[in-house]
Amino acid sequence: MKSFGWKQWTLLVAFVLVLLATGLFSVRTVRRAVYWRFHRDEPVRPWMSVPYVAHSYHVPPQVLYEALGIPHPPHDHRPIKEIAEEQNRSLDEVIATLQRAIARERVSPSPASPPTPATGRSP
Amino acid sequence: MTLTDQLLTAFSQYGLPLLFAVIMIAAAGIPLPITLMLVAAGSFVALGQMKFWQVIVVASAAAVLGDQIGYALGRWGGHQVAAQVSRKKAWATQMQRAENFARRWGGAGIFFSRWLVTPLGPWINLSSGMAAYPWTRFLCWDIVGEVLWVVLYVALGKLFSDRVQALVDILGDLAWVIVGLIAAVVLGWQLLRYARTSNAAERSRKTARAGA
Repeated sequence: MKSFGWKQWTLLVAFVLVLLATGLFSVRTVRRAVYWRFHRDEPVRPWMSVPYVAHSYHVPPQVLYEALGIPHPPHDHRPIKEIAEEQNRSLDEVIATLQRAIARERVSPSPASPPTPATGRSP
Repeated sequence: MTLTDQLLTAFSQYGLPLLFAVIMIAAAGIPLPITLMLVAAGSFVALGQMKFWQVIVVASAAAVLGDQIGYALGRWGGHQVAAQVSRKKAWATQMQRAENFARRWGGAGIFFSRWLVTPLGPWINLSSGMAAYPWTRFLCWDIVGEVLWVVLYVALGKLFSDRVQALVDILGDLAWVIVGLIAAVVLGWQLLRYARTSNAAERSRKTARAGA
């Protein structure tokens, strides 16, 4: 085969780099999918609302409202960042409160609560 | 807080007007995590916070409008640059080839970059404008592709409404795997073509030498 010119070398280098990057992303996708399959819980983020966290962790929303001292009903759809600001607490503190309430609920589910939070209905 | 967290927090607070603005800006070419916003919108629909059809209409309209901005930038900004460049003979041939390519494959490129190979979307908008791809055809493919994209991701978000963040992480990586595979096929094909032509040239040289 004829020797490579600079164009062909560039193509070859780009080809190898693209293959490497694609391989890396493929591995990451598979790892995430496997993790997703076995770990249902996702970290609580500042954008999530109390009903979303309850829905994601499969606990009744009133447990979380009570832990944060928010009157319920109606549903409070504000992000927890906004709730933290209103209560003059740090975001980490609010997340820790929610996580403690979730852990407590999972160990001893509250008898009055329905098994799953209300979902899929219009306000 | 990351940019994604900030955008999603703002989305929770301001709802559909913010979704419209962010998707339009992203479709015009500014990289923002809009896939996550659409999937999150799907989960908000599942929680009864938003209505499915409202999200679909607002997000699709924003995406189509943003794409038209990208196309217009390519057509009236990029096309002038291209016209200057095309005055040189060698570049004129290249530009003509690019235009022919866009006219032949433009529809498929526009359609698939709306929902399957989304990282390429803004580039396809610009290049379609630069290649003067007919605007009505661009708009038709754009609407079909964007509505499909919006429905697909909002429906996924509604279906997996309890694991939005995890789903988006997987979808984000998967989009880059698809882009990488397409790039690898294109580059590999170019290399293979070069190897074939240079082999054929060498064979004909050898035959010519043997003949002499």
